[in-house]
Amino acid sequence: MSDAVDTIVTAETPEGIAIAIRPAGFAVRCIAFLIDGLIRLGIWIGIASALGAAGRFGVGLLLLCAFVLSWLYPVIFELLQNAATPGKRIMGLQVLMANGLPITPSGSLLRNLLRVVDSLPAFYGFAVVTMLLRPDGRRLGDLAGGTLVAFRTQALPRGGFAIAEPIAPPIPLTPRQRVAITAFAWRAGQLTPERAEEIASLAAGAAPSALGGSVSSRLVGIARWLQGQRRGMATARN
Amino acid sequence: MTPLEFEAEHESAWTELEGLLRVTERERGAERFLALYRASCEHLALAQARDFPEHVVARLSQLTASAHQIIYRQSDFGLQRIGRALLQTFPAMVRAHRAYVAAAAALFMLPALAMGLATYLQPDLILSLVDPATASQYEHMYNPKAEAIGRVRDAASDWAMFGFYIGNNIGIAFQCYVTGVLLGLGSLFFLASNGVIIGAVAGYVTAKGYGGTFFPFVATHSAFELTAIVLSGAAGMRIGRAVLLPGRLPRFASLQAAARDTSCIVFGSAAMLLIAAVLEAFWSSAAWVAPAAKYSCATTCWALVILFFLRRPHAA
Repeated sequence: MSDAVDTIVTAETPEGIAIAIRPAGFAVRCIAFLIDGLIRLGIWIGIASALGAAGRFGVGLLLLCAFVLSWLYPVIFELLQNAATPGKRIMGLQVLMANGLPITPSGSLLRNLLRVVDSLPAFYGFAVVTMLLRPDGRRLGDLAGGTLVAFRTQALPRGGFAIAEPIAPPIPLTPRQRVAITAFAWRAGQLTPERAEEIASLAAGAAPSALGGSVSSRLVGIARWLQGQRRGMATARN
Repeated sequence: MTPLEFEAEHESAWTELEGLLRVTERERGAERFLALYRASCEHLALAQARDFPEHVVARLSQLTASAHQIIYRQSDFGLQRIGRALLQTFPAMVRAHRAYVAAAAALFMLPALAMGLATYLQPDLILSLVDPATASQYEHMYNPKAEAIGRVRDAASDWAMFGFYIGNNIGIAFQCYVTGVLLGLGSLFFLASNGVIIGAVAGYVTAKGYGGTFFPFVATHSAFELTAIVLSGAAGMRIGRAVLLPGRLPRFASLQAAARDTSCIVFGSAAMLLIAAVLEAFWSSAAWVAPAAKYSCATTCWALVILFFLRRPHAA
């Protein structure tokens, strides 16, 4: 239903099921990048002030740290348990392979080395353009490394069924109609009664007024019936 | 089975799996976890096929996806794997790309030789590349009277230079590689420009009569350093070709395939540059080592490097 407007990437697992991955967009990745920048700066200041006192040996170590910090900082964090740099972790993101598998070392290295090109001509210009052009928001480095930045968790639809007597659907319903009515009933409690009624009126044909009550309460009743509830069963569930 | 019955029957398994996702790997216990994962896959497929409510499908989908991430995580980053990549895949990939390597070597060495000869005959030419202050620095670096060779200031310690070489050289190699994405132009530019500068410095200090310190200095570590730069440039050219002439693949798929093939070459080059940095900082710069010793060490190193790429470890 939502395929046309959603940017969800579907990955098939060896178990033969499809997993939905929600790619991270431009804005959230930008914020994650800025947070990482601040963290890197903090680490750099910390190391510099600690090693500055250590003399010549310290200078060497400092240059080594600069190299690691500029090239390998994201790689190290992406290969750890969370598959995300601290900035991405704070924003609830993680890096995956585009086929939904966990990130591999070469995938992480490639996507981070390619930052050099992504940052051209200035201010990550290439990265911004490719990310905005693609629905899955991958930059050049992601494309070469075969990786994808996605949200760690998807927001579960919040809500619950309001209390209502289960009503058997008066007319036969197609699977899509059943899904739509159930999804509406799940959300109805979060809407104002007027808005709920307005949306419910679209499906008024499925719940004739002969059944009594408002349209939305009738639809909730049908949804409860579709869930398997019957008259006389305890309604405590959900 | 109605959605309510379905939820009631499996709720305990889902809650248990959700709990296992939060604990550490050791507390998890593989057998139970795998069984629960398989069950959740089955439940997800059922729920999707039967158009169960969105909130049930979404919950199962998220549960399965999180468990999937843990189960398929590559846990084998062991030494054996790295060793195999560096000792077998790396030289094999270099051999597989020998045409690119030859082109990259030519692109690097021809400008270097031409510029070297030119600055040797006409030392002022170096000023077309760098300003006079830098030129006099080069002169100072390879002055036989210096305590340590190849340093701008004698004060810079071996360790400081080691850190500098690592950052600078590996950075150049990475740059040679990744800028290949720009239709290969970046790799071509960095190979040629590095060749020109190295050639110019060599020609200049030789013309000034410091060849006796310069060549023993560079001979050893260049076996690793120059080879690694040429190899990453070659890998970058392969990337550029994949973008420019993708053949039968879509352009992005072609880029991805080329990146996968050549990534090993870049990691190998980085390892070689690590060796080069150690040699350059602690061995090449030591003024007390006789040039003859440095030359014989250099010969060994070059022979080892060439052998490393020519030998074929037991057919894989």
